[in-house]
Amino acid sequence: MASSAINKLAGSRATERNLLLLAAPYTLAGMLALYLGSQRAGYQSLILGPAAVAAFFLVHLYWKKVGYKGDSYLLPITAVLSATSLVVLYRLNPAYGMRQFIWILIGLGVLLLTSRLLVDFRFLGDYKYIYALAGLIALILPIFFGQEHGGAKSWLDFGLFQFQSSEFVKILVVLFLASFLTENKAVLSAGTRSLGWLSIPGPQEWVPLVAMWGVSLLLLVFQRDLGTALIYFGTFLAMVYVATARVSYVVFGLGLFTAGAAASYQLFGHVRSRVAIWLNPWPYADTAGYQLIQSYFAIGSGGVLGTSLGQGYPDFIPLVHSDFIFSAICEELGLLGGAAIIVLFMFYVFRGIKISMNTKDEFAALAASGFTALLGLQAFIIIAGVTGLLPLTGVTLPYVSYGGSSLVANFILMGLLLNISHEAAADL
Amino acid sequence: MKNNILKLGILMLGLFAILVVYLSYLQVIRGPSIAASPYNHRFQEYEAQVQRGTIYDARGTVLARTEFTDGKGKRVYPEGRNTAHLLGYISEMYGRAGLESAYDRYLLGREGADRIRNYVNKILDRQQSGGDMVLTLDAGLQELAVDLLGGRRGAVVLLDPRSGAVRAMATSPSFDPNKLDTIWNSLVADEDSPLLNRATQGAYPPGSTFKVVTAAGALAEKPDLAAKTFNCPGFIEVNGYKLMDTDAHGDVDLKKALAVSCNTTFAQLGVGLGPEGFERACKAFGLTQDPGLGLPARAGTMASVDKLHPAELASSAIGQGEVLVSPLQMALVAAAIANKGVIMRPYLVDNVKDSMGEVILQTAGRKWLTATTPQIAATIKEGMLEAVRYGTATAAAVSGTQVAGKTGSAQNPHGETHAWFIGFAPASQPTLAVAVIVENSGSGGAVAAPIASRLIAAATAKGY
Repeated sequence: MASSAINKLAGSRATERNLLLLAAPYTLAGMLALYLGSQRAGYQSLILGPAAVAAFFLVHLYWKKVGYKGDSYLLPITAVLSATSLVVLYRLNPAYGMRQFIWILIGLGVLLLTSRLLVDFRFLGDYKYIYALAGLIALILPIFFGQEHGGAKSWLDFGLFQFQSSEFVKILVVLFLASFLTENKAVLSAGTRSLGWLSIPGPQEWVPLVAMWGVSLLLLVFQRDLGTALIYFGTFLAMVYVATARVSYVVFGLGLFTAGAAASYQLFGHVRSRVAIWLNPWPYADTAGYQLIQSYFAIGSGGVLGTSLGQGYPDFIPLVHSDFIFSAICEELGLLGGAAIIVLFMFYVFRGIKISMNTKDEFAALAASGFTALLGLQAFIIIAGVTGLLPLTGVTLPYVSYGGSSLVANFILMGLLLNISHEAAADL
Repeated sequence: MKNNILKLGILMLGLFAILVVYLSYLQVIRGPSIAASPYNHRFQEYEAQVQRGTIYDARGTVLARTEFTDGKGKRVYPEGRNTAHLLGYISEMYGRAGLESAYDRYLLGREGADRIRNYVNKILDRQQSGGDMVLTLDAGLQELAVDLLGGRRGAVVLLDPRSGAVRAMATSPSFDPNKLDTIWNSLVADEDSPLLNRATQGAYPPGSTFKVVTAAGALAEKPDLAAKTFNCPGFIEVNGYKLMDTDAHGDVDLKKALAVSCNTTFAQLGVGLGPEGFERACKAFGLTQDPGLGLPARAGTMASVDKLHPAELASSAIGQGEVLVSPLQMALVAAAIANKGVIMRPYLVDNVKDSMGEVILQTAGRKWLTATTPQIAATIKEGMLEAVRYGTATAAAVSGTQVAGKTGSAQNPHGETHAWFIGFAPASQPTLAVAVIVENSGSGGAVAAPIASRLIAAATAKGY
């Protein structure tokens, strides 16, 4: 059987090793180019590359030693994304590169812990209302104690570092939905009463769902974090569809979304201005549209091959290291570099979907597709935002943008995906 | 449930695929024009590091160069106000314009082999440099054209009808680009709009010079008009609208009608063309298009077909009415007659080199439009020759060179008529086509034709 052969290969982790061997020269070449090309890049740039490569290999070797059977592709994909992040951030500002390096190490540590401690992830399904509560608290706190960053008030300040709770709450959201949907799937799919031509489930089944969605959405509106709201909502719809296969829920959800979007357009000036800038940024070139116009210039200056590392001016874009890092990649690495990042996310989503389909357990399959949808949507929304395909909503580009919360949360998410694939492979 | 997951996966991969397609479009097709925006600070950054290329005229005269004083580069324009509208400017405060802006990527060494060369230069901390550019313009003729305008509002265009190469393109009033940062506010406030390039952006009623277009249109519809005789009693009535002529010209044929600029004849021809025929004639000469010179230009405008009732047609046919064109467009009308009916695309940049002197962009004459047939062009040329020989354009004559021309004195709401002249020379093998307009200065024959005469004489003497 082809699939068992693949799984056997996954067990030996040879694919992972071979792919990491491809990621290594990429990382080293990037850091070397920075060292040679810029006076600002110190000797650290020569250390960071090999150190990052070694860290990823250590994770691989540890997994090989303990016989971990998680998917073999996610770690190399993440390694290339992280390497791009490291190189581009170091190029923008060596201090960012150093800090991002530390966060990558912490992220890999958390990934190892996740693969070790949460390997029997199934128990996570038992605490759904605790997640709902924890998630709520984590989302409410920043409203009262939060710091505002780029218009979004979703950060908690812990002195030493700042913490964006919504990055972690998104994992809880997926776990809650997976657990809840597994329990109520039958009822939600069939419906218990009929409303004319439409059979709908009873309120005890859908009220918690809608309430959870509504509350999180309201909180995000108060935090002005439109991007995260969009991601939560998209993930919510994706998971409901996967669980029930009922297009009517999706249509109903999209209807709610349209109503919500129209209402917030009417209610909030910042939403209106985002839309206006998206439709035509040029009248706001010196004001609210400055960032997007600068992003356009960066992308437009890149061409197919890019200006090459260190030769562009991506630092003209405010916040280029976080939300707009994709534009910096497009300027210096060109269309080829930008498209490569998108293709890496396509690989990631492909593996996530594969993991989800290979597991026999409903909770695991729902959680895996939820995590995949979450990560894919987040990447899509921010790339579409900085390129002007969609109105700009500030979220991070997973594994690439600067920032510890996002990086660590996404490594946990990846660890959970790997654990799900580990269980499926171990069952064979 | 597997099926649902699969559908979700396909949807997500589809979203990313759309993103790749959109990014390719944005970065490759739209990218260069987005990045050329004056809001883009990148060019100012390059400016600080790169020895910007020099711009020369066709004879090697420097039109723009960068001078370094105390390590800081300053752009200098030796010809000052003469070339201000063509070269444009690069200002930190007021942005970038003209050829300087349009060819930024070449002048700053961001094209061809210079890209790699300057990359290496930057890494090795050596001076980066851009490529030089050679124009088709002749600085001497340009200066003469500006002098002949003598500070009056107006414009002059002189080009080679065989290739489209522009030899002179003057506009007045002008400004000194070397002092832009100190005079900007007064330039913007000036009622005579010195920042406007009248040669390409002007919107003028063409007056009787337009009769060339009317004649070509009428002959295309009815070739036998060439042999017909028209009677001119000194006025014409169209639907109760009485159009006065300058004189009672009596019996005239088409050539003589051109020579003496008979309004009665051309008003009749215009009415005979009808709205569609009239529009066809305008479009054939490219009057409703931007000729694509690479500088900001205004496409000509005319009354829409449904508004071209007979009275409007009669006045449009003699260049009054709602027809508004630029001097460049009228120079191309003259070029069409000179070049047997074919209009070549006008251009100003002959070639662009990289920093090592290799030519990386060479302009060749390209056909733009076929305005009319060689036969019709020959007939109209006869009329234009007669105009210079004994008609309204005698002041355009040049000793030793046969000039063909057509004058115009365009009525307008701002006072005296605009003086117009279009023409070409030498008539047997034309190498020069010209358009002259001096705003509110009187008749074309008295004011514009002598300017063309002086310019053609000077250009011929220089071997153009």
